[in-house]
Amino acid sequence: MSASASIECRSLSAGYAGNRVLEDVSFRIDEPAIYVLLGPNGAGKTTLLRVLAGILEPYGGEIRVSGAPIGDPHRRDQVHYLSHTDGIPDGLTVREALEFYARVERAGASDVERVLDLLEIRALGDRYLSQLSAGQRKRVSIARVFLRERAVYLLDEPTSNLDPGVASEIRALILNLSREKIVIYSSHNLFEAREIGRYVLTIKGGRLTLFSRLDALRSAHFVIGIRALGPSDALTGLARQGDYYLRELNGPEDVPELIRDLEARGVRIREVREMGNPLEDLFT
Amino acid sequence: MAPENPTSLFPITIRRAFTVGRFFVLYGMVVSVLVSVALSFSAGPTSSTTFPFLLPIFSVLGSMGALVVFTNDRVKGVLEYLLAYGMSPRGIFGNFLATGLVLTSLILAVAVGGSLAVHLALGIPITLQLVELLAFYAIPMSYASTAFAASVGMFWTSLSSPRTGMNSPIGLVPFVGILPALGTLGLLTVLATRGVYSSNELVLVALGVVGVIALVVALLLSSTGRLLRREQLLSPL
Repeated sequence: MSASASIECRSLSAGYAGNRVLEDVSFRIDEPAIYVLLGPNGAGKTTLLRVLAGILEPYGGEIRVSGAPIGDPHRRDQVHYLSHTDGIPDGLTVREALEFYARVERAGASDVERVLDLLEIRALGDRYLSQLSAGQRKRVSIARVFLRERAVYLLDEPTSNLDPGVASEIRALILNLSREKIVIYSSHNLFEAREIGRYVLTIKGGRLTLFSRLDALRSAHFVIGIRALGPSDALTGLARQGDYYLRELNGPEDVPELIRDLEARGVRIREVREMGNPLEDLFT
Repeated sequence: MAPENPTSLFPITIRRAFTVGRFFVLYGMVVSVLVSVALSFSAGPTSSTTFPFLLPIFSVLGSMGALVVFTNDRVKGVLEYLLAYGMSPRGIFGNFLATGLVLTSLILAVAVGGSLAVHLALGIPITLQLVELLAFYAIPMSYASTAFAASVGMFWTSLSSPRTGMNSPIGLVPFVGILPALGTLGLLTVLATRGVYSSNELVLVALGVVGVIALVVALLLSSTGRLLRREQLLSPL
């Protein structure tokens, strides 16, 4: 299924109550990977995911999922959608909520058992959802997209409001998923985006302003941080950020030469890292 | 793929509405039986025929759990989830409307059963008039009023921003929901006072009103797609 999966938008426009939020958005995705969707608040990220999920009907343009138009039942069976709200039904225990999702998605009882283990929520199975913490609720919410395998996953800020530990676990699950699936992942967190994304799509003012491989992006200023095991005259005079001495280079190709030069001058290097995030430049 | 037939979510929706709205259901059941007892004690058979006219009010109040769950589902993104997986707005509305009617059935079963049991226990005769009023007024009017309240409540909730407390659709819908029953009562009283209709014809008037309400609800339900945009079912959060 995943081998032939694709999403194609042509001149897509959409919005709410006649007010256009997205305008003339076009792109094609056909490689399994995480596509990070970035943009300021109100830019149209959630609207784009809602249109791709078939929740909102586009005002104009065309969407095809694996070649099928948006209204086609085949498309419905290809796409998972996780909204930024929990989407957790009241009045149920965790296990019952998963059974509710399984009923909607025509998954089986064994799938419910599997995701209880996968998301490590089996111990919560008999607890009512109103008794869970925000992080636990998010796990339950995310569990539903693992009930059935699909080709395309639309995830709207899946790690928002989570503590770093849980967010990291969720990212690991999604990274694993992206080996064979197309994952469109909206986020406000540029560092998270850089960590997991292979491609980036940015939306500003309802228009797609960038669709690129993340590793093809370069910071306007390529700044390297050097952390040394001890003080060194060779580092004196450099600007500092915390434990890091900063050097601006032309690009990553200059890093090996910098390291050789510093070591030749007696600097015992503990760590070298890129201090900036090229994604930050997209929002300045 | 979402269930093509939304009734597959029906049993679980009933359970949720009962769990979340159990206070309303119990209120509808308990208060209706208590009122029946009070009326039977106070004046026997004559006064006990007042009970069927009150029953639709308890049914509307008791079935509010369905609207509470609908409202919560909208705010928490469950309706958005259902739309994403292929359920239509009409299917969603139909599911909650039917849930409200099931809750009404539970209340009616307890209220009517309790009322008849009270009659038997107190040795008050169960008159033909009481049976007719229950069968041809109270029960159909209860279902119609519940359907009306649920439909109005779901549209109102979908078209308004979330509010809490009494000044919210959930707080106000019970007052709207009992209007058809109160209006029918007023109409029947006026007609009876003027001697225009006999008691049998009063039942026909009541059934006519029920028919009109049922038609309005059916029209609302069938027009859901035209009257409501899909985004109005999305979480405003």
